[in-house]
Amino acid sequence: MLLELAADDNILRIDWVKFTFGAIALAVVWFFVGRKAVPKVMAVLDERHDAIEGGIERAKRAEAEAEEIRQQYREKLEEAHREYAQELEKAKEQRAAIIAEAREEAQAEASRILEAAKAQIEADRQQAMAQLRGEVGALATDLAGRIVGETLTDTAAQTRVVDRFLQELEQDGNVQRAEVR
Amino acid sequence: MSADVRILAAEPGCHLFGDNGCGFSAPTTGMFFPTPWYENIPGSAGIDLHLLLLLVAVGATLLLWSWFSKKLSLVPGRRQGIGEMLILFIRDQIARPTMGAKGDKFLPLLTTLFTFILLMNFTGLIPGMLPVNSNLAFPAMLAVFVYVLTLVIGMRNQGGWGYIRNQIFPAGMPKPIYVLVTPIEILSVFVIRPVTHALRLFATMFAGSLLLAVFAYGGWYMLNLGAPAALAAASAVFSGAALIGYIVFFVFEIVIMLVQAFIFTLLAGLYLNDSLEAAH
Repeated sequence: MLLELAADDNILRIDWVKFTFGAIALAVVWFFVGRKAVPKVMAVLDERHDAIEGGIERAKRAEAEAEEIRQQYREKLEEAHREYAQELEKAKEQRAAIIAEAREEAQAEASRILEAAKAQIEADRQQAMAQLRGEVGALATDLAGRIVGETLTDTAAQTRVVDRFLQELEQDGNVQRAEVR
Repeated sequence: MSADVRILAAEPGCHLFGDNGCGFSAPTTGMFFPTPWYENIPGSAGIDLHLLLLLVAVGATLLLWSWFSKKLSLVPGRRQGIGEMLILFIRDQIARPTMGAKGDKFLPLLTTLFTFILLMNFTGLIPGMLPVNSNLAFPAMLAVFVYVLTLVIGMRNQGGWGYIRNQIFPAGMPKPIYVLVTPIEILSVFVIRPVTHALRLFATMFAGSLLLAVFAYGGWYMLNLGAPAALAAASAVFSGAALIGYIVFFVFEIVIMLVQAFIFTLLAGLYLNDSLEAAH
């Protein structure tokens, strides 16, 4: 039976039923696999590709942004440094100016006080001189009176009177001087 | 019911060193013509094992791809990774090398062809079964499909006569040479190409399963444990050698099935490339 079949059947014969069913099978497979499943998987592949590309793109953008911000920050920092130096310079100048002004004022004040003191001293001296002059006159008069009043017989007595007078004068002079001073 | 079993059953109890004196009957091409279950179809062998195996291949292809394509995510698991790897393999080994970036458009087609053909071949790995493509009708159907597709796409891209002209008058040759080249090209492109495309796949599957059948039948024939002790031992050794041969060629056959599916798809890509732009 087997040998009969082998003789009858030609392996190169194309069976139209098998051919047709094969075509139907290919169509079915193509519809479900080629049209549905494979594109679905490919879509995910593309999506992932895009996501990775997008991620790289985003990272690049973020990096550029960070660089820009850092640049801005650096510029601001430099500006702040510059401003600070300027302010410091200004403050130094101001300080010097204030010190100079204060010194000037103090000197003016000092010289004013000195002048006032000198004037006061001068005034006091004038006053003292005037008073002294009056008193010297009175004393001379007094002394003359006494000399005249006393009996000038006794030389010794005369000498005592003069000595006493001079002593008193001396004392008064001390007192007067002290006042002036 | 398998072809092997049926044929073995045809000569029951026939073994090496047997006393009924029957010799070894090698498997014949008859094994590729299983008894049809329904044969009242004019001009056809009818509905037989090949069509059942075709159904199995279709089911396996659909199952495989529905498995690959379910619950897809941007971060793929192992299952999705295999599916993607398969697509990328077809893209990088077939579509891109043959057609360049334009090949991406044909990626679903090529992937479908490759998986379907591969699983049609793999039915031969089921013990006692045959590769679907060991019947010429199926490779022929696939080759005709690719052939018609190349004609349609070629004529759409280059114009009806344009495509034929580009195929049969290769550019850059001295005029007299065309007398020689053009008949060869006509024969080559429009006849030999589709025929070899189909025959290559068919012949490898056919020869491969015949070879496996020889080892299986031979191993079974040589095993005769009912013979006198020394002969039984010798038969076991012979049979063991045949088994080893069977296993080696089984693995070899898996590789051939993969390679043939790959080659068929690669050639489909090459032929489609001729349809995309004029050959240089």
